[in-house]
Amino acid sequence: MRVGIPHFGNVYISVKAMAQRLGATERDLIIPPPMTRRTLDLGVKYSPTEACLPYKLTLGNLIEACELGADTLAQGRGTGICRLGYYAKNQEQILHDLGYDAHFITIDVSHHKLASILQLIKGMCNNAPWPKIISAFRFGIGKLFALDKIEKVVQKVQAVELERGTANQIYREAIRAIDKAAERKEVKRITSEYIDKLSWIPKEEDAKPIKVSIVGEIYVVIEPFANMDLEVELGKLGVEVERTMTISRWIKYSLFLNPLGIDEWRDVHKAAMPYLKRDVGGDGWESVGEKVLHAREGYDGIIHVAPFTCMPEIVAQNIMPSTKEDIPVLTVLCDEQMAKPGMITRLEAFVDLLKFRRKRRKR
Amino acid sequence: MIKVGISRALFYYQYYPMWQTFFEELGAETVVSSPTNKDIFTSGNSRAVAETCLPVKVFFGHVISLVDKCDYMFIPAIRSMGRKAYNCSKFLGLPDMARALIPRCPPILDPEIDLNKGQRNLHKTIYGLGSHFTCHKGKIKKAIEKAWKTNSAYRKEMADLGITPVQAIDRICGENCEPGSALNLSPVLKIALIGHPYVIYDDYINHRLIFRLQAMGAEIFTSEMADQEALDVAMAKLAGNPHWTFEADIIGAGEFYLEAKVDGMITVAVFGCGPDSMMIDVVRHRARELKVPFLYLSLDEHTSEGGLVTRLEAFLDMVKRRKRVCV
Repeated sequence: MRVGIPHFGNVYISVKAMAQRLGATERDLIIPPPMTRRTLDLGVKYSPTEACLPYKLTLGNLIEACELGADTLAQGRGTGICRLGYYAKNQEQILHDLGYDAHFITIDVSHHKLASILQLIKGMCNNAPWPKIISAFRFGIGKLFALDKIEKVVQKVQAVELERGTANQIYREAIRAIDKAAERKEVKRITSEYIDKLSWIPKEEDAKPIKVSIVGEIYVVIEPFANMDLEVELGKLGVEVERTMTISRWIKYSLFLNPLGIDEWRDVHKAAMPYLKRDVGGDGWESVGEKVLHAREGYDGIIHVAPFTCMPEIVAQNIMPSTKEDIPVLTVLCDEQMAKPGMITRLEAFVDLLKFRRKRRKR
Repeated sequence: MIKVGISRALFYYQYYPMWQTFFEELGAETVVSSPTNKDIFTSGNSRAVAETCLPVKVFFGHVISLVDKCDYMFIPAIRSMGRKAYNCSKFLGLPDMARALIPRCPPILDPEIDLNKGQRNLHKTIYGLGSHFTCHKGKIKKAIEKAWKTNSAYRKEMADLGITPVQAIDRICGENCEPGSALNLSPVLKIALIGHPYVIYDDYINHRLIFRLQAMGAEIFTSEMADQEALDVAMAKLAGNPHWTFEADIIGAGEFYLEAKVDGMITVAVFGCGPDSMMIDVVRHRARELKVPFLYLSLDEHTSEGGLVTRLEAFLDMVKRRKRVCV
C-alpha cells in the first residue's frame, strides 16, 4: 500500500513523522511535491468548473501523488453542509477516468474524528499495537503544535523587524529543522531555540503596528499557496497578523476537548448570535463572530479570506457589513484566476485605509 | 387579519400549498410576491454581495417587494429534510441575511426545520411558529394535519398528471389562473430538464425555458413529474447516501430519466451554485456513459436570451438528427 495525501499547511510534516515512527519506509507514504502552478493547473483542468479552490488544489495534489505511484489516497469527509463531503466521491471518479486506479480512504471530520483518524492509522500499519500508534500520533501532532507556536511569534515579529523578511527566513528554517527532528525532546529544543532566535531579531523600538485579524474558510486561511502568502505579504507591509484558526487548535479542540463538552468557539458564536443565529456549515458562523469580537477587542481591521463560491462564507460576507461593531473588512476571494500583484495592491490600499483611520481616531 | 408574506422564490415551488394551508387554517392571510420581474430582479441584485447566487439575490428582491404589504415575513431556515442530508448554507442563512440586507423588513418568522433532530423537535418548532397566531394548541395541530394533506395532494397531482409545480399551484390554490398555453404541436422529443425547482420554474431567471423548449417541439420531464420513491432509488444507485437535500431532485432525477431513455437531457444550474457544481458532474458522467445527449446551462444575471435560444436550438437540432440517424 502506498498512501498519498493532499497538502494542507504543515500537516505533511506530522503525517511523515507518524509514518516514520510506525516503521513506514519512503515508499509507503507519498507526499506530493510542494504546491506549484502545475498542481493548480492540473486541478483546474480536471475539476468541475465551479468547484471551489480547495477542491481543485487537493485534486491537483492527489494527481501528483498518483504520478509518483500512490495507490491509496487520503481525503477529508464530513456530513456537513459544505461541499467537503462530496470531495472524495467526485475526485475518485475523476482519478479513475484519468486511469489511476487509486482507492480512497476518508477521514471523517465532522463526527468521531479522533476515533476515525486512529482507526485509519491502525488499518494502514498492519495492526501495530495501540500504545505504539498513540505514541506516534502524539509525536506527529507535537510537531504541528511546535510549528504553530513558532508561527505565532513570527506573526508578531515580522511586523516590527528592521530587515523585512528575516522572521520568515527563520520560520522556514524552523520548518526544515522540525521536519528532521526524530525525538519529542528534540522538537521541544528546536522550538525554544527558534523562538529565541526570533526574539534576537533587531526590531523597531516602540512601534505600534497595524493589527489585523485573518478570518475565513479554514483551508484557504491556513494554506499559504491558496491565499498567495497573504500573511508574508502583510508582514512586508508592517502589519501584525492574528489568526485564531490553526491546525493545532483544530486538533486540540475538535479531537480532544469538544467531545468533553468544551467548545472553543463559544464566545465567538455568542458574539455572532445577534446577526447570525445558527451554524451555516463550514466556518461562516465563526467568521461573523470573530469580526464582532475583534472589533470589540480593538483590532484595526479584518481580512476575510474565502474560496470563490464558498457557500458559508457568502452568507458571512452578506451579513458582516451590517453588524453594529464597526471595523473595516477586506474580503479576499481565492481562486485560480487570482494574481499576486492584484492582491498586493488591494492589501496596500487596505492597510493605508487602516492607517488613516487610526490617525483620525487619535485626533 | 394578520398578513404573512411569502416570497415566490426558492422553496415556494416545493412547499407553497402546504404553507398557505397552514397559515390560513390559523386565520392568517398569505401574501405572495408577484412572479419575478425586472424590479424584483434589480432590487435584489443590488442588495446582496456580488458572489451570492442568482436565486438568492432574486429572493431578496421578492422580500423587498413584500416589505410594505405584510405584517410578518415567512423565511424558514430549512437545514435538513432527510437523515444526514443537508441544505446549502445559503438556505440556513436566509433569514439572517434578509435581516442584514433589508433593514426595513417586517418581523421575520424563521423556524429552523431540521429533520435530523427528530419528529419531536420538528413539532416543537412548528408549534412555536403557530403560537404567533393562536394560543390554541388543537388549532395548530389541525392546521399541521391539513397542511400535510395538502402537501401530499400537491405532490401526487404533479406526479400523476405530469404537470409542473406552477400549474399544480394554480390548480390547488386557484390563484391567477392563466389557462396554460395549449400548444398543439405534437411533441417529438423527450427532454429531461434537471435543476432546482426555483431555477427551472422561474420564468424570469431562465428566460421562459420550458415554454421555449415546448415551442421547439420538446416534451419536458422534470423531477416533480416522477415518483419520489423512484427518484430516491435512482439516487442511491448512482451516488449512495445523499449529502444534500435536493440530491434526489438532481442526481436522482438525472439517473431516473437517463435510464428511462429520454432523447436528451438539459441541466440548468446557476453560476456559483456549490452543490450543483458537484452533483451535475456526477450526472454528466453518467450521461456520457449511457451516451445520452447532454446540455449544461449555467445561468447568471448576465445570461442573454439570444445566446440561450441559440444553444437550445442547436442542442435540439442535434438531438433530432441523432434520433433520425439512430432510428
